[in-house]
Amino acid sequence: MSETKPLYSKRPEWSDVVPVEQYEIVNPVAPIFYSEQYKDATNYFRAITKMGEKSPRVLELTESIIRQNPAHYTAWQYRYETLCATNASLADELKLMDEIAIKHLKTYQVWHHRRLLLTTLRKPKPELEFIKKVLHEDTKNYHTWSYRQWLLAHFGADGASINKDGEEEYDLADLWEGELDFVDSMLNQDVRNNSAWHHRFFVVWGCGIREGEQDRERVFKRELIYVKQNISLAPNNPSAWNYLRGILKSTKTPLSSVSTFVLPYTRPRDPTASRDIVDLENPPPSEGADLPSVQAVEFLADILEEKGSESDINQAVELWKSLATELDTIRRKYWEHRIRDAHLKLKASK
Amino acid sequence: MNTTLPALSRIGHANHCKRCLTGLPVSQTDMDAQRLALVFYCIGGLDLLGMIQDIPEVDRRAWKDWIWAQFTNGPSGSGFRPSPFMTGQATTDDLVVDQTTAYDAPHIIMTYTALLSLAILRDDFSQLNRQGVVEFIRRSQNDDGSFSTVPGRNESDLRTLYCAFAISSMLNDWSGIDIAKALRFVSSCRTYEGGYGQSPFCEAQGEVVALSQMSSRINLAIGGTTYIAVASLSLASSAMGGKEILTPEEKEETIHWLVSKQAVTGGFCGRTGKEADACYCFWCGAALKILGAGKFVDRYSMVEFLGRCQFKYGGIAKAPGESADPYHTYLSLAAISMYPPALDEGSVSPKVKQSWTSFSPLDPVLNAREETVDWIRRHVPQPSHR
Repeated sequence: MSETKPLYSKRPEWSDVVPVEQYEIVNPVAPIFYSEQYKDATNYFRAITKMGEKSPRVLELTESIIRQNPAHYTAWQYRYETLCATNASLADELKLMDEIAIKHLKTYQVWHHRRLLLTTLRKPKPELEFIKKVLHEDTKNYHTWSYRQWLLAHFGADGASINKDGEEEYDLADLWEGELDFVDSMLNQDVRNNSAWHHRFFVVWGCGIREGEQDRERVFKRELIYVKQNISLAPNNPSAWNYLRGILKSTKTPLSSVSTFVLPYTRPRDPTASRDIVDLENPPPSEGADLPSVQAVEFLADILEEKGSESDINQAVELWKSLATELDTIRRKYWEHRIRDAHLKLKASK
Repeated sequence: MNTTLPALSRIGHANHCKRCLTGLPVSQTDMDAQRLALVFYCIGGLDLLGMIQDIPEVDRRAWKDWIWAQFTNGPSGSGFRPSPFMTGQATTDDLVVDQTTAYDAPHIIMTYTALLSLAILRDDFSQLNRQGVVEFIRRSQNDDGSFSTVPGRNESDLRTLYCAFAISSMLNDWSGIDIAKALRFVSSCRTYEGGYGQSPFCEAQGEVVALSQMSSRINLAIGGTTYIAVASLSLASSAMGGKEILTPEEKEETIHWLVSKQAVTGGFCGRTGKEADACYCFWCGAALKILGAGKFVDRYSMVEFLGRCQFKYGGIAKAPGESADPYHTYLSLAAISMYPPALDEGSVSPKVKQSWTSFSPLDPVLNAREETVDWIRRHVPQPSHR
C-alpha cells in the first residue's frame, strides 16, 4: 500500500524535485485537514505538473494520489497524459484499474479513465465479463450500467470492429451475442432492478438492429411475452409496467392491444378463476400476488382514455377515483388532475 | 392530521453548515477537487434558513475573499476552480500566487456554484471578468452539444450543460453557447420512461450522480438529471423568447414520471424502484414546479419524511438513520422552501409550524431564493446586458 511507503520528501529518487506547497489565503473556507501523506504527494504533484515531467515515476505518484482521493480529476488527467507520453502498457493499466474500480465504484473518474483506455485498446469483449463481476457487487450502479451501454454503443455499431487498416479487430456479433441472456440473468436475480430493464430496452430497441433481430414483428412478440410473464410474477413492479409502455410506444401500438392481459390485474383476485388453462399471451397474476396492482389500474385508465368515448372516460374516471381515494393516495392531487383534464377534453369534443 | 411532526431544527442545521465552513476532517479529502460546491451548500443552507445576516460581516467578507481567490483567468477562459488544490505557492514570495499551469483551470460546475454563493453574499461582481467567462463556456462546449467540466477534458454529461445554461442566463449573454446543438444533446438523453439519463442511452434519473460519491458521507451531486434537463429547457426557452421546447405529450409524460417518484414514505426516489432519498425531494420537486405541476406533490408526507431525516447533532441526512451532510441539508431546505406544508395549528404547536414554514420563495430554475435571483439579474450581467 502506498500509505506505508516513505514520504516523497524523504525519498532520494525525488530529491531533484522542489515540492510546491498549496497556496491558500489567510482565512480559508472549509479547509480540509489533509493527512501528511496526501499533503506530501500533492506537493510533488503540483511541482511535476509545473515542470511538465511525464515519466514512469509520475505514474507511481498519481496512483498514490488517486488511491487517497479518487475524485482528484487532475491526477487522473495527468496520469492518462503520462501513460500516452511514455508509451506505457495500457493493458497493465487496465489490470490495475480492475482493482481500483471495485474499490471506488461510485467515482465518476474511475469510469471515465476506463473509457479512455478502452478507446485506445479496442478490446471490448473481456470488459463485458468485468462489468458483470462489478455489477455483482452493486447491481444498480449507475456508472457501471452506463459504461456497459457506452461500450456496446461505441464498439457494437456497424463497422465499429474494422480498424483503419480495414482489418476486423474483434467479432461484432460475438460482442452482442450474450446480452439478452445477461439481462435475463440480472432480472432473474431481481425483477425490480430498473437498471436491468432499462438495459433491455437499450439492447432491443435503443441501439440499432442486429443480425437475427431484423424480424421486428417477432422481436416485438417475444418482448411482449417476456414482460407479461415478468408482470405476472410480480404484478406491482413499476419497472416492468414501464417497459411494457415503452415497447408499445416505440412500436406505435395502441395501449388497448393489451387490455385482456391488463384486466385481471386491476381487480381483487378472482378465487373461482381457473389456472389450468395457460394462455401464453395473457398470463394471469401469480398466486398470492397483491391485487389490484396500482400500475395495472393506472394502465387500464390510460387505455380507456386513449379509446376516448364518453363511457370509456367515465370508466377511467372511476379508476382514477379509486387511485386517489384508496390505492395511491399520496398522488391524490395528480389523479384528481387527470379526472378534471379528461372531463375538459370530453367537454371540448362535444 | 398526524401530530407526530417534529420541529425542523433550524439552529442545529445552521450549526452543521457553519461547522463545515470552519473545516473538514481528513475523511473528507475527496472534497478537495469540489470544495467550492460544498461551500455553496453551506452558505446556501444558511441563507435558506434566514441566518446569513446573522453571520458577522467580517466572516462574510472572508468567505467572499476566499471564493474570489478561486477565480482564475487563463488560456481556457475565466471562471472558478474548485479550490486551490492545484494552485502552487510561489516559491520566492508567499503572497504571489502561481497560476501558470494549465492544470489549475476553471471548472464549469464550480463556476455556477461560485456565482450563486457570491450573489447570496450580495457581492457587487465588480471583479467578474464576464468576457472571460463567456469564452470559458464557449471552449467547454463539445461537438455533440454537451459541455466538458474543464475545457479539453471529454468528461461531460447533462450536469455541465445545465451549468453552462445557468451561467449564460445569469450573465444574460448566451453568445458562448450553440443552443440548438445543446438542445439536441438534451433530447438524446430522454428515455422511454419519460425522464432523462446522464448521457445518451442512460437510465432516467431524478438525481444526481455526484462528482464523486465514494464512501464519503458528503455526496456532492449537482445533478438530478431529469431536473437538470427540465431546468435547462426552461432556461433555453426563456433565452428564445418563451418558445415551448417539449410537446404537451412529452411534458405530461415527464410529469407522470416525476410524480411517480414520490414514495409511500413521503420522500422522493431518484429512479424507478429505488429507495427515497432526501435530495430527490428537491430534484423531483423542483422539476415538477418548473413544469407547473408543483400542486401534485404531497407536501405533508414530504416534510414528514424530511423530519425523519434530521440528524440528532444537526444537518439533514439522505435517509432516516444516516449521517448528515451539507448537500442533503441544503437540498432538503430548498425542497421545504418550495413546498412549505399547510399545518393546522390544532395539530402542531405554533413553534413547530413556524419552524417548517418560515421560508422565503425559491426560484426552482436557478436554485436560489427569488431575492437572490433578483440580485443576480441586477448585478451579474454586463451593465449593457441588464
